[in-house]
Amino acid sequence: MGASTLLLTGNIDTIAQMSCNPAIGGQAKGQMVREIDALGGEMAVNADVTAIQFRLLNESKGAAVQSPRAQCDKKAYQFRLKHTLELQANLQVFQATVTGLIFKESKVIGCHTNLDIDFIGQTVIVTTGTFLRGLMHIGQNKNEGGRLGDFSAKSLSASFLEAGIKLERLKTGTPPRLSGRSIDFSKMVEQKGDANPTFFAFYDTREESPLFHVEQTGERRLGWAPGTEQVSCWMTHTSPETAKIVRSNLSKSAMYSGEIQGVGPRYCPSIEDKFVRFADKPRHLLFLEPEGRSTNEYYVNGLSTSLPFDVQVDMVRSVPGLEHALLLRPAYAVEYDFAHPTQLFPTLESKKVENLFFAGQINGTSGYEEAAGQGLVAGVNAVNKMRGTPPMLLRRHEGYLGVLIDDLVTKGTNEPYRMFTSRAEHRLLFNHGSAELRLIEHSKAHGLLSPARIRNIEAKREQITYWIEFLETNRTKNGSWADHIRREQHEKAALPEAFIRESSAVRDEVLYRVRYQGYLAREQRQIAKFADIEKIRLSPTLDYLSIRGLRRESALKLAEAKPMTLAQASRISGVNPADISILMVMLSSKDKQGD
Amino acid sequence: MPRFTDTIAALATARGTSAIALIRVSGPEAARVTGAIFGLVPPARRATHADYRDLAGATIDDALFTFFPAAGSYTGEDAVEISCHGNPFIVQKVLEDLFARGCRAAQPGEFTQRAFLNGRMDLSQAEAVADLIHARSDRALAAANQLLRGGLGRRIQDLTDRLLGILAQIEAQIDFPEEDLPAEDRESARKAITRLLADTNRLLATSHYGELLREGIRTVIVGAPNAGKSSLLNRLVGHERAIVSEEPGTTRDFIEERIMAGPHGLRLVDTAGLNPTPGAVEKLGVEKSHAQMAGADLILLVVELGAPLPDLPESAWSRFKPSRTLLVVNKCDLSRPQLDYSLPEGIPMVQVSAKTGLGIETLVEQMIIMAGQIQTIDSEDFTVINARHADALSHAMAGLNAAASQLAANGHSELVASDLRGTLAAYGEIVGRIDNEQMLDQLFAKFCIGK
Repeated sequence: MGASTLLLTGNIDTIAQMSCNPAIGGQAKGQMVREIDALGGEMAVNADVTAIQFRLLNESKGAAVQSPRAQCDKKAYQFRLKHTLELQANLQVFQATVTGLIFKESKVIGCHTNLDIDFIGQTVIVTTGTFLRGLMHIGQNKNEGGRLGDFSAKSLSASFLEAGIKLERLKTGTPPRLSGRSIDFSKMVEQKGDANPTFFAFYDTREESPLFHVEQTGERRLGWAPGTEQVSCWMTHTSPETAKIVRSNLSKSAMYSGEIQGVGPRYCPSIEDKFVRFADKPRHLLFLEPEGRSTNEYYVNGLSTSLPFDVQVDMVRSVPGLEHALLLRPAYAVEYDFAHPTQLFPTLESKKVENLFFAGQINGTSGYEEAAGQGLVAGVNAVNKMRGTPPMLLRRHEGYLGVLIDDLVTKGTNEPYRMFTSRAEHRLLFNHGSAELRLIEHSKAHGLLSPARIRNIEAKREQITYWIEFLETNRTKNGSWADHIRREQHEKAALPEAFIRESSAVRDEVLYRVRYQGYLAREQRQIAKFADIEKIRLSPTLDYLSIRGLRRESALKLAEAKPMTLAQASRISGVNPADISILMVMLSSKDKQGD
Repeated sequence: MPRFTDTIAALATARGTSAIALIRVSGPEAARVTGAIFGLVPPARRATHADYRDLAGATIDDALFTFFPAAGSYTGEDAVEISCHGNPFIVQKVLEDLFARGCRAAQPGEFTQRAFLNGRMDLSQAEAVADLIHARSDRALAAANQLLRGGLGRRIQDLTDRLLGILAQIEAQIDFPEEDLPAEDRESARKAITRLLADTNRLLATSHYGELLREGIRTVIVGAPNAGKSSLLNRLVGHERAIVSEEPGTTRDFIEERIMAGPHGLRLVDTAGLNPTPGAVEKLGVEKSHAQMAGADLILLVVELGAPLPDLPESAWSRFKPSRTLLVVNKCDLSRPQLDYSLPEGIPMVQVSAKTGLGIETLVEQMIIMAGQIQTIDSEDFTVINARHADALSHAMAGLNAAASQLAANGHSELVASDLRGTLAAYGEIVGRIDNEQMLDQLFAKFCIGK
């Protein structure tokens, strides 16, 4: 977009450092990474280039819920992204800790830093991760910081409180890291990567030219290249001994001794939680994930805990294959401040403070992909705000990023929010291959992709439309080609020669839309039902309490939520269809009078 | 370009209280739907008499309809008004048919809202329109809440919980493929869906109100032998149905006839005479008559002018409640003195002559009043299904059927889930929107997620 941007970070060397598992994608997240790529984000390319293992999940459950996932080389991922930032035009990176925001009237105009250097800007985006008053727990041991080895951002919280932004605590955790040479892999089950990797990026940066991503010269890659080996993950499980150790030491866990106030995620419980809440489950699955090609460090997925270090050692060594394991870093729980995301507009701008945007864990989310998506939306909208151009509003039927932002700003969250495919009512439209087709209008409107790539997507879209039309209208034996494809349960339906010669991206999308035609048409009908109210914009300054006929309870909720469209208003809990009808009537009378 | 893409329908007159019911339809599909129902291109603005035929081609009623093209209609879009008999059963059938043809149940005040938004009303009326929507929706909400507190709410809640359980299993397999979950069990999911389907169907079919509407109000005619019960039935029906004989005890089995009393459907049941000293054969008939009285919605107690009340055991008299008993003094064409009866207070009395037809009109009027009361009294105690609920339940069943066939055909889980979500939304139309969080709550309570 060409806006002059400053990136302030406490430590340049930990930009894009993966605090938790060294993997990108997975269920719903894989689709989100492709959406980020479709909107010009860097995550997909960075993951593809630095991945050491690729897997496509859910191959048997249908095309819409298939998700690419990759193990990445942690250091390669981080350094490549740092280098990308260094090469990015209009971007300046500077190392300093932000200690407070500078307000003028009800707007933000810049920030203070620990170096006593102040920075002034038109818009500010806050992405504090788990660092905002971050507090790490290992049993009774407490350390301030957002990640082991890093510091915490302490004084910034005061700035938010001063501006009237409400903060609360969340908790998350991470498992121990082990030394690979101390692991007996012969007692574990190997999990290999797919022979034919599914990449995140729509255009393979290694082969094709229409790039918008930053070119890097002489790139020394630590990821995977065709013909090279992928790195494996390993599966094992807890033993009865593990359960005994955990149960007899529960009182020493920071979670169970009441040391931690923050709310943790239900989908990522600590091992203590698993043994307590699912007491009849004899054992729990564990995955050992390699942290890179040039390191021997392993991440123990499934063993997140806040037990003391000595108990952790016993616990780890009770696992088959880990009898002699050496811990390189202990597991820990981390508590941090987040700001209720219902205090934001769907642009991710604060309702309280103009020009202030929030993205990532400060909004109550968890996950690299959720954070990256928000960063992208906040960034685009900060530029739009500054220039006075229309914001980028992603809608729920356009993709997971639309669902993510609408859920956050309309419903809020009480636990670290992670995307699931089941959160999306229009999930069937969100097959990962269609991301750039779904989002192209946004990319065009906000200049997020190169003209060459836009042309490419439009050509692809035309090809898809052409082939669907062709297959629906041209006959083969017993009806149209499309009928033939729908009848054939398996992939091996005979197809026209010219169609088989199309690229797999076009072919897959055409077949998907033909096969799922009935279901996809139903989705479109449901979307059409809300199209009217999706278009009606609401002003944030609308005085709901003065609207005649509106129930007071609804008026108060609407005044608090400040929805941007009538559709968003209809999703606020407690606002009923009659309220929406009344709003439609009253707004239309205002509009007409204003004409 | 029309502002609204969907076509709405609703009953415009009050339910169950008038002889004529007016049903309004408005939206782009109004002309097509009307044409399909009445089998002709609807003439503009002219009341036309024709048979209302449902999607299956069966005649529901003879109706009067008027089609209003957008330019001159109340709502500013194509609209039709259908007048049919005010019987709730017919109204329900018509609405169900309109929904099956793609119309949607109108929200409270929606016709007026459309009129306003389509520029049919002055801007100064905006506040009046808002007030009207507010008032109507409050009333609708109160009525709906009353329904949901009763049996319907509980039963839908039970169905919803079971569906959430099934969905949570399927979603867990989709969203957490790498977790150590129990193996996917499609067979038990299919069975659970089949049970849900049966129960949803039962809810739709066996609701008491539905029965009341379909079967009519059970109106049992009782009295001493030869009081003229069968003659009365024949008079009410309008043709000879029961065998009328001078010999007492001719009616041993029951004779049933359906009649319309104003807007209400009644099922008339003629019974054997309440003979205090019956023979062996009559005794059986008398016992059956007592059983019929016990199951009656309305009792017509028939006595001959000048004759005493039938001789009944003490327990039988408790069945004659004022709200559901009508004393019919027959043979008033004879010149006999009217006796005083010691009946519970408040039981209305009508004098008729089944033979000459004298007083029958007054009797029918009284029956209409009582039938109206009975329908409102009963509907509070029983699961009430109206056309909108029936529509939602049939959508729910469509989703369950589709999901079951996907499972049977080894279809993708994402499609099964999509169909079940359609069912969840349909239940939600009755009990209020069901948030996805409820499914996630079940999922995380049931499965240990978190590798």
